Amino acid sequence: MGKNVGIVIVSHSPDVAKGAADMVRQMVGTNVPLAWCGGNPAGGLGTSVEAIVKALELAWSDAGVVIMVDMGGAETNSEMAIEMMPERRRPKIIVCNGPIVEGSVMAATESSSGATLDRVRRAAEELYSR
Amino acid sequence: MNFDQRTTREMIQAIADTVIGSAGELTELDRAIGDADHGVNLERGFKAVLAKIDAISARPINDALNEVGRTLILTVGGASGPLYGKLFATIGQHLTDPDELTKERVVNACEQAISVLKTLGRSDVGHKTMLDVLVPALDQLRAADGASSLSNIGERAHAAALETVPMIARRGRASFLGERSRGHMDPGARSSELIVTAVCRFLEARL
Amino acid sequence: MTSGRIKVGSVLRARSQVVLTHEGGLHARPAIKLTQLAKRFDSAVWIALAERGPWIDAKSIARVMAMKTPHMATLYFAAEGEDADEATSALARLVESDFADGGDEGG
Repeated sequence: MGKNVGIVIVSHSPDVAKGAADMVRQMVGTNVPLAWCGGNPAGGLGTSVEAIVKALELAWSDAGVVIMVDMGGAETNSEMAIEMMPERRRPKIIVCNGPIVEGSVMAATESSSGATLDRVRRAAEELYSR
Repeated sequence: MNFDQRTTREMIQAIADTVIGSAGELTELDRAIGDADHGVNLERGFKAVLAKIDAISARPINDALNEVGRTLILTVGGASGPLYGKLFATIGQHLTDPDELTKERVVNACEQAISVLKTLGRSDVGHKTMLDVLVPALDQLRAADGASSLSNIGERAHAAALETVPMIARRGRASFLGERSRGHMDPGARSSELIVTAVCRFLEARL
Repeated sequence: MTSGRIKVGSVLRARSQVVLTHEGGLHARPAIKLTQLAKRFDSAVWIALAERGPWIDAKSIARVMAMKTPHMATLYFAAEGEDADEATSALARLVESDFADGGDEGG
């Protein structure tokens, strides 16, 4: 598990993020580092840089981490969160452009076979790239 | 001017107290042309800063400002979190020698920070944002010579914030209101004014 | 990883076929297990719903899920490479066993 690429799921809704993470666990198994977060610092719909940073730390893998996001703000705050990470980790974190549920499942499937960070990213983005 | 631990602490406290004390006003401004959370968000951020003020002020002023910035990014939320966070963090990062704070170096650090804000917010003066206060305030700083000029900077910031009232917002939530954003001060302009004047008042009393 | 297209007229090293008895057809979870198993092999591996194809890369979860294979369809596997025989028989066994857990994909 330590060598598999990690997956972080960031949604404006904590329910959506948790649900997507539950689906990944159920379908793909538990050998992929996985964390989720959702909601803004005020407790409403939105995203929180701090929560994303914590999720990145939880799901960290030396093979790298992909971040699945649901909409614009999640992407911006995810990029902020990457800037808050130690410098040597930053190049190994990628924000992906894929559907949050299917992309997370596909990315996790790929990661569970020991794929590289780039392969996992491509799997996450495959449905949006056709 | 030398920033020892106590001075650093007192300046950050002064900024935080000003923002927290005006949280209600900032929220009301934001209710008119935003989603009524500017004051609440900044208050949360500066309270988080105060919660670690001991650790922050134990550092040299540049690291302290960087840490204030990081804390704001993590806790404020919304669009202002990254913007205010980057403002403080970038200034801190560009004050490479905390024991040699010349006016030129401070001006340069502020220029870098404003440049980052323009890129991050995809914005410029005239869009009815915090930049409409920060840019004129920096211009005034460049022209300053001596402690007595600090009050000029505060006045300039105040006037600049008022100038945002008739503007149409081109950025942020307010930009969805179009014409209806006229007639209200931009909350980010007001919070920037408050921070600038808090810093100027603080420095004026000590220079 | 190879996800090749089968050349027209090429002779494939190994094949197998099996009926998909899994209720619900090849929906997400069984599709994922199938893909994960296919990826274990070095050979290129393909899956199809007819003996002559069209052949789909069995290591691509997106493509396998998009097949929407119904309950009781016959699945055809083909592979090319060193471990091609193992690949096609393993995949057929997985389907035959109704995607029983192998127990080694981690907790």
